Amino acid sequence: MQTLIEVNGLKKSYKDKEVIHSIDFKVGEGEILCFLGPNGAGKSTTINIITGALRCDSGSIQYRGESIYKDLIGYKSHLGIVPQDLALYEDLSAQKNVLFFASLYGLRGEDLAEGCRFAIDFTGLSDRANDKVSTFSGGMKRRLNIACAIAHKPELLIMDEPTVGIDPQSRNHILEGVKQLRDQGMTILYTTHYMEEVEEISTRIIIMDEGNIIAEGTNESLKAGIEGDRHYRIAVEYEAEPGDDALMRIDGVKKVEMDNCIIDITTDRKKENLDKIIAALIGSGVKINDLSAETASLETVFLQMTGKSLRD
Amino acid sequence: MYRFKSVFMLDLMNQLSNPMWVFYAIGFPIALILILGFLISGGYGEAVSSYDYFGVALMVFSVFNAATFSANSFMEERIKKPNMRLIYSPISPINIYLSKILASFAFCSMAYTFVAVFLRFVVGVNYGGANAWAPFVIMLVGNFFFAALGVLVCCILRDEGTTNNILSLIFAIMSLLGGVFFPVDGLGKAVATVSWISPARWMITACLRIIYDGDFSMFLPVFGLLIGLSVLAVVLCGRLFKGEDYL
Repeated sequence: MQTLIEVNGLKKSYKDKEVIHSIDFKVGEGEILCFLGPNGAGKSTTINIITGALRCDSGSIQYRGESIYKDLIGYKSHLGIVPQDLALYEDLSAQKNVLFFASLYGLRGEDLAEGCRFAIDFTGLSDRANDKVSTFSGGMKRRLNIACAIAHKPELLIMDEPTVGIDPQSRNHILEGVKQLRDQGMTILYTTHYMEEVEEISTRIIIMDEGNIIAEGTNESLKAGIEGDRHYRIAVEYEAEPGDDALMRIDGVKKVEMDNCIIDITTDRKKENLDKIIAALIGSGVKINDLSAETASLETVFLQMTGKSLRD
Repeated sequence: MYRFKSVFMLDLMNQLSNPMWVFYAIGFPIALILILGFLISGGYGEAVSSYDYFGVALMVFSVFNAATFSANSFMEERIKKPNMRLIYSPISPINIYLSKILASFAFCSMAYTFVAVFLRFVVGVNYGGANAWAPFVIMLVGNFFFAALGVLVCCILRDEGTTNNILSLIFAIMSLLGGVFFPVDGLGKAVATVSWISPARWMITACLRIIYDGDFSMFLPVFGLLIGLSVLAVVLCGRLFKGEDYL
């Protein structure tokens, strides 16, 4: 797979607070590369830097081996951007929105008309093409937000949380569309904090937290990294907080996290030690209210790596 | 050029299709001139009627408002988000702010030309007959300068609301000082002298001298000053405009 984008040592600060801490990654041609992370992880900042709209403090971004800043306008003409916010003229029709934004990429005449038809059809808005955007539902606006980014058939489509706040039907429509666009030859860079979306569409995943890349790989490889483990989440009541020493001494226990009345325990799947864990807790005067065992998911990958939930 | 034309046409259409802005650019000055002209008609003579005075002075006041239109066109919340796509698109940043300035200039010039023609035929405002081109040129250059000023202040403050609040206050003071609502010469020598700091004063005086005395002595200085200030404002926009402010 040929490298389309290569990012090295990317850093960005806002008012002395570093929000991106020297990250490196590559985007291969034909990938659906998903950036997964909670709000504030640095996904949108990273995306905005890759689009060339936001300057980084240091680091390099190369497109097909050349710095994007060498010919920024030329580089931008290869991109399609679906911003997180709905970036549409509400008083114009869907068609006029698409025509206008496509014209910014140099499309004119029959190419412009054809690009507009393709984008409107692709997003399923043909029957409302001449209606004002202000009359559209949230899901339709989200689809139009995508249509405005694909009419010029970009090489790299960058989608920043394109499904925020929409109904499941529109979300499925968008996710199916993303896969079809990839099949048509586009490379997709997709950010979200919904792990279900990532599991459905990604060919590769970068997990971000607090401005760092904390894991990178395919859905399967990331889960495989923790498949040797089992996670117990135990809801408890206690007078005094129990120490984790007793739990850590149990054979197979790898990690113990305590947060108020929730204890998260990561243990070796091959060791049958649940009875010992329960005994240790009861022995330290803890009352167990609930206990659940979790299977491997991107959520648990994230939880294991950061000690917090994706939606924290 | 094709991409700039696309952005310019959309910016212009956004202004022309906004009923509030059209009213503010056409209905408001007409109503203000007719009402003030009627109320103060007794205070003016036969040769120069109150309509003649306000037909010039309040047109200058309206020219100030080109700054409000350009600031809105540049960063108004309703338009700011779709404008964000301009930052992502392969167009030079200069096209973005220049388009807002030119679209506001074109919109105000069309609107105020209509207002002037309307007032000429309805209440017979005197714009100088054969010399009318000169006040017209001063108004046009003024429109451009104030449109550029609106965008420039937005580039500095990065917020359309704050820009409009500050500019409205400054324009109100400049209008009072510049004799928009009443001639300031009667308020004493000191006030009359201070009033020259207001662009309204130069513009109104230059126009009235051309219209009533055929005196063009102030035309070139006012024209040159407005052109100079316009160039300075556009250059500063280029220095201060940051596409990131749209993100």
